[in-house]
Amino acid sequence: MTTSLPSDFWGRVLFILQRYGTSYLKGAGTTLLISIVSTIIGCIIGFGVGVVQYIPIDKRSPWYKRALLRVAKVIMKVYVEVFRGTPMMVQSMFIYYGASQLLGINMSMWFAAFFIVSINTGAYMAETVRGGILSVDIGQTEGALAVGMSPLRAMNYVLIPQALRNIMPQIGNNLIINIKDTCVLSVIGTVELFFSAKSVAGTYYTYFESMTIAMVLYLTMTIAASKLLRLWEKKMDGPATYDLATTDTLAFTSGLLNISTKRPANERPL
Amino acid sequence: MENILTVTHLQKDFGTHKVLRDIDFSVSKGDVVSIIGSSGSGKSTLLRCINLLETPTSGDILFHGASVLSSGIDVPSYRAKVGMVFQSFNLFDNMNVLENCMISPVKILKVPKAEARERAMHYLDRVGMASYINAKPRYLSGGQKQRVAIARALAIQPEILLFDEPTSALDPQMVGEVLQVIGKLAEEGRTMVIVTHEMTFARDVSSRVIFMDDGIICEEGTPQKIFTSPEKEPTKAFLERFWNR
Repeated sequence: MTTSLPSDFWGRVLFILQRYGTSYLKGAGTTLLISIVSTIIGCIIGFGVGVVQYIPIDKRSPWYKRALLRVAKVIMKVYVEVFRGTPMMVQSMFIYYGASQLLGINMSMWFAAFFIVSINTGAYMAETVRGGILSVDIGQTEGALAVGMSPLRAMNYVLIPQALRNIMPQIGNNLIINIKDTCVLSVIGTVELFFSAKSVAGTYYTYFESMTIAMVLYLTMTIAASKLLRLWEKKMDGPATYDLATTDTLAFTSGLLNISTKRPANERPL
Repeated sequence: MENILTVTHLQKDFGTHKVLRDIDFSVSKGDVVSIIGSSGSGKSTLLRCINLLETPTSGDILFHGASVLSSGIDVPSYRAKVGMVFQSFNLFDNMNVLENCMISPVKILKVPKAEARERAMHYLDRVGMASYINAKPRYLSGGQKQRVAIARALAIQPEILLFDEPTSALDPQMVGEVLQVIGKLAEEGRTMVIVTHEMTFARDVSSRVIFMDDGIICEEGTPQKIFTSPEKEPTKAFLERFWNR
């Protein structure tokens, strides 16, 4: 086996793949893992913050409740502004080195990665969630209150499920952004796809070839992610048809008549 | 008859605009009260105050003699005893017809699932929507949505039902099916307060009619009295305008 590089471009790409294919795949796996987990955690943070920001301050509730809510809102506002308003790359180094220098905490690379990406996603999602809840018609809340739900239950059973559906495209956006932006974690030594590609490139001075492979892998991941999310959205919408129970609906033994509606599942009535 | 709801000196301001000015009325068990009047006279606001969707500025609302405006009251469980049907249906878009009618009995009233299902099916059957249990609200027509909304309100088995212009958002050909359902409920002696612009309907189903004008109850009485021999000028003018439309 020769150690010298082939002279043509595709030859070099193949050569790299044969030798370092697994390290690319490992890098891509790390990238995917960090982005998916962090997007999920970020969504949970975002829902928490978004819901709190949505709660109106009720003049009738006792003063300590109002004070607590006000303080929580201010803290969350600061959180959103700070993390939305600074680059993730700077945040990574700030948090990673700051934690060890200031607090004496040596974060593991994995913890730091999940922490930074999650908290960033959360800051963006908070505003998205607030908007998503606001976009649900006020009649939905009133309907929920009218059948005896408390505001919290109305939020839980009626508002959040509808808000979640409304912001699914934005969650998809965030996942795709995270797949790409985890590459900034290379500054704190996270061995994700970009880090792997750069290391391989440095070994043979094959930057173009190595980045070509990285490009293809990134694109594959983002396209796959957006396709999967579209499928999930479709599933949330439920079938575009529904079954008419024809005779005795209490017994559920009768035949079902399938009604097909012409309207596609994701279209909302005007 | 047993008194269920009493409204005393009720006022509601939106800023400087006084929408309700000193409203007094009461509803006894089995009453079917229709509230008529021109748009902006405060009919809907009155209904929304009864349900506490709006907080009254002053006055009181008594449910079985107890104020629902006192600070200790459990508002959600009060609302569960007062069913409400809205002009714009307000069915939960994320649930199908059956789930719409089951969510509150199961999650709020803690009725066992099987029983809640049976109950929901019973009321859906009553409004003629039992075959649509699997449909999401977006696939239903306005009249169908409103009938499901009525079934949903009935499923919590309220002591009194409030209707806020239940047919105003419907196409003319769908008004009939909804009024028919409400008429049947009136016949079986349910206690109801109906805000409506359907005068013929109000005349036929009500035990009492209230005419509201500019935030006050202008005239109140039996349908015969209000529709055939009204005493007050605004009532006469309103009905005149209406019949000559």
